[in-house]
Amino acid sequence: MDFGVIDLDEETVAFWAEVRAFCQTHVTKEVLDEEFETGSGFNEGLHKALGARGWILPTWPRQEGGAGATPLQAAILDAELRAAHAPLITLGTTRNVLPAVLRWGTDELKKAVVPGVASGDVRFCLGYTEPDSGSDIAAAKTRAVRDGDEWVIDGQKMFTTGAQNCQYSFLLTRTNPEAPKHKGLTMFLCPLEQAEIRPIRTLGGERTNMVFYDAIRVPDRYRLGPVDQGWMVLLGPLNAEHAMPEDTDSAPPIDQPGGMYGYSAVEGLEVALAWARSADPDGRRPIDDPLVRERLAQAALDIEVATVSTGPAGRVISSEMAIRVAEDLMDLVGPRALLPRGEDAAIGEGWLEYLHRFAQGTATYGGTTDIFRNIIAERFLGLPRQAPRAG
Amino acid sequence: MAEPISAPILRRADYRLSEEEQALAEAFSAFFERSCPSERVRAAEPWGFDAALWAELAPMRPVAMGLPESLGGDGAGLVELVLVTEPFGRSVAPVPLVEAAVAARLLAAVATAAPGGPADAWVNQVIDEHKVVTLALQPGGGPQLVPAGAVADAVVGLLGDELVLGVCPAERAARRPRNHGFAPIAWCDLSDPECSFRPLWSGPSARAAFERAVREWKLLMASALIGMAQATLDIGVEHARSRVAFGAPIGSFQAVSHALADVAMAVETGRRLVRKGAWYAAHEPDEDVHRVLMAYRYATQTAMTAATVGVHVLGGVGFTVESDPQLYFRRVKGWTLVAGDPKAALSDIADALFGPVAIAK
Ligand SMILES: Cc1cc2nc3c(=O)[nH]c(=O)nc-3n(C[C@H](O)[C@H](O)[C@H](O)COP(=O)(O)OP(=O)(O)OC[C@H]3O[C@@H](n4cnc5c(N)ncnc54)[C@H](O)[C@@H]3O)c2cc1C
Repeated sequence: MDFGVIDLDEETVAFWAEVRAFCQTHVTKEVLDEEFETGSGFNEGLHKALGARGWILPTWPRQEGGAGATPLQAAILDAELRAAHAPLITLGTTRNVLPAVLRWGTDELKKAVVPGVASGDVRFCLGYTEPDSGSDIAAAKTRAVRDGDEWVIDGQKMFTTGAQNCQYSFLLTRTNPEAPKHKGLTMFLCPLEQAEIRPIRTLGGERTNMVFYDAIRVPDRYRLGPVDQGWMVLLGPLNAEHAMPEDTDSAPPIDQPGGMYGYSAVEGLEVALAWARSADPDGRRPIDDPLVRERLAQAALDIEVATVSTGPAGRVISSEMAIRVAEDLMDLVGPRALLPRGEDAAIGEGWLEYLHRFAQGTATYGGTTDIFRNIIAERFLGLPRQAPRAG
Repeated sequence: MAEPISAPILRRADYRLSEEEQALAEAFSAFFERSCPSERVRAAEPWGFDAALWAELAPMRPVAMGLPESLGGDGAGLVELVLVTEPFGRSVAPVPLVEAAVAARLLAAVATAAPGGPADAWVNQVIDEHKVVTLALQPGGGPQLVPAGAVADAVVGLLGDELVLGVCPAERAARRPRNHGFAPIAWCDLSDPECSFRPLWSGPSARAAFERAVREWKLLMASALIGMAQATLDIGVEHARSRVAFGAPIGSFQAVSHALADVAMAVETGRRLVRKGAWYAAHEPDEDVHRVLMAYRYATQTAMTAATVGVHVLGGVGFTVESDPQLYFRRVKGWTLVAGDPKAALSDIADALFGPVAIAK
């Protein structure tokens, strides 16, 4: 057990300073305004600037396009970018898919895409969900049929977030409709040039997409792993997204305030505290009211619980915490909390207004909180298979 | 070139136990599992004390271990003690472990800071004769219900700015009320002349030492509560695997499994919160106040939820006195409410985090 202060060597302090300066230069007000407007989760200039520093894959060696950073430095980089609100959804999905490409891609494919990932020119999105299947990922129907050295892909994906920013989708297809559900799937790193992308707007402001694959032709070299064994290929990135223990253990052991999904609530509390500490014309401050204090203390407690939470439990706890805290802090602050970023009288640049919408989505994407309760019940508590399921 | 920044503060978040810590936790787990099955908990009802068990536990020095070596203890700290009280809570053993450990540490603090008083002799008696000293959790005079008051050889408390220690006459100590938690609580009044309360130490340091002792009680109890929650979770999971209704194990119904999953998440997270709180209390005592209170608040909530879920998942049987979850149901409430409303921790957390309330002029 150790929660002590980490002694940072000079190099790490210098690295930190470099990251701060980078954020000031590249995560500008224009970048943030644009993200608030578009919800794109990506900014090309920023992404390429990260690539130029080797910060897309910071722990990779320099000669392979990384920055040779330590895991601690990489964690500092992520924390600073997060605090600056840099739009990084597409960076996240790209990093998430890369291990599967490295593990399953042919040398030819790796040579074609990996240097571009490091430089920022090549980005990946996640093509799992379909109109008729989400939680039940393996029920995907998008067909891939072999035709000589090519595959013909036909179907529709839903919620392919960042597709508009990406060259490839990590695409889940069905290659054998006769086989049991999990045994007829094949994964592709599918080029998106021929796909049709239509935007979907969300309550949280994030943009995501429908993607139509209308009999597009894809050379076999874009296949990842064996035919019909796509489930095995998918599990790596899926487990990483699900914060399964084998993944979280390798992360450097430093606190992530608010846990997996709750950082925005940490900032929400800061906004509410600043509000509570400011006096009205009569000199009265909300923070001197016992009821206000208890609500703020409850939020602080909720946030600390999320901060220490980890793994699949952390996924659920941090998400539900953010939803609850956002909702309650809005009520506490009152009508002015309704004003969004850009309104003159907005409190904390409208952060609570945003947080209340944003937090709700965290309970759905990346596997819903209900699915996670199933996972905890089955895999961690050893309870029987949850609810009757086909296939 | 980047502007230099002064080294920002970054902390580790390492929850792993060392080998010694692991061994300590396992030794106490093994003891309580072996020596305190639920029949023994039941046998000690309604008064909640098993003197033989306390004697069996004594060679493991659960109280002396938390005292400084200079006074004859083993020099362990709060990090170790929470590892002891978790398995204790798991078995809801009818022994006054938390109170005894905390009051002994308070006496040791007095004996160290202000030697030459009666605290010195009491520390020796605690170590050598396994005497039980308990802590009156509410400061000030007037009747209060003191945990382990019915079985303690002496009571320490705060009267005004003075730490006092008293020994009540036998008939006084026998004033134990029946209670919800089947706990050995007893009425005690720090201003009662018959209990001959004597000053141990006075002034702001004495008050601070008392307040620290109350926080330590909450911390060790929080860990016990996590143990209690774990125990009821285990019972519920076991039942949900085997009990069949409508042709399926009830653990496949999400109303059942998700309730258990929620408890599992809270137990795991609460345990981490307790350990983090213990580490801060041991290593950076000025930083610990809100952390300990948070751990306590979250643990009380987690353990009570776990107990209600445990009783519920067992169905009708869960509500009978033969069920084990009800043992926990009673004790989660009974062992904690003596420290006052657990939700009131929020206002203390607010004081610790946001500073005192400004008084309007
Ligand atoms: C903003 C956003 C971004 C997204 N980004 C991506 C992306 O990049 N790539 C991608 O592939 N997908 C993405 N998704 C899709 C997301 O992963 C799915 O929406 C999610 O997994 C739920 O699937 P569904 O929408 O089909 O709902 P359904 O699976 O139909 O679920 C509906 C409801 O039923 C519940 N439910 C379903 N099955 C069970 C069960 N077995 N037990 C208990 N409850 C159950 C669910 O929890 C949910 O509440 C995104 C979604 C959103 C909102």
